[in-house]
Amino acid sequence: MNSAPFHILRVGLAITFLWIGVLILQNPEAWGGYLNPWAARLLPFSLETTMIGTAIFDIVVGFLLLTNYFTFWASAVASLHLIIVMTVSGINPITIRDLGLLAGALALAANTFPYGFIKSKQQHS
Amino acid sequence: MTLEAILFTLACIGISETSYLIEKRKKGEKPVCFVGERCDEVLGSKYSKVILFHNDVWGLLFYIAVAVLTAFLVIGVEPLIWWERLMRVSVASGVLFSLILIYLQWKVIKAWCFWCVLSAITVFGMGIILIIFTIL
Repeated sequence: MNSAPFHILRVGLAITFLWIGVLILQNPEAWGGYLNPWAARLLPFSLETTMIGTAIFDIVVGFLLLTNYFTFWASAVASLHLIIVMTVSGINPITIRDLGLLAGALALAANTFPYGFIKSKQQHS
Repeated sequence: MTLEAILFTLACIGISETSYLIEKRKKGEKPVCFVGERCDEVLGSKYSKVILFHNDVWGLLFYIAVAVLTAFLVIGVEPLIWWERLMRVSVASGVLFSLILIYLQWKVIKAWCFWCVLSAITVFGMGIILIIFTIL
């Protein structure tokens, strides 16, 4: 859990999430263009508001990963987020990059899974 | 955009370094010392604290400031000219502070701390990148 490869992956993924968040804030509507029309119709808010929310989410996840706080939860929701992104944007030339990010986020989540916490909960119940 | 991307990346690396040092200090644990074995001497010296806070906290604030200022420049938050000036002043101050810390390790404490040197390299990297992009 505290090995150098873990930290390299954690920091690398964190920078990616933070920078994507900043780029989305720079031009939310352009990034919203990646959404498939069927997904855009399901949005409860305007496309711009949704993308700004996504950017803030990315920045929060990135910051948690960067500072190594709640790393399991940050990498777990990052994985879920990437699965949603791949679903709503469909197959395109950058899908394979999202797949790599998803693999990295899943690896972090698996590495930081709170086994000790679950065991202690099972013992108490 | 390239300049901002590099500065942002370096600032993020700095945030991870300093938050690691803060976490270790709060827990009372020794940080991993990849090079040399005298990190404790430097981190435990009287020079590890300047004006109220430890150097790692100042470092974290500095890196967060650079990351936020760079993000403002990319997003286009006005007044851009002031954010750019503030970022340049911050990096210049960071370089100066890092030079002082390097001098203290070299001549006064006579011990090297891996994380402090890595942080100084990160700040010098920011300065060099800023100079290169200003000249080009």
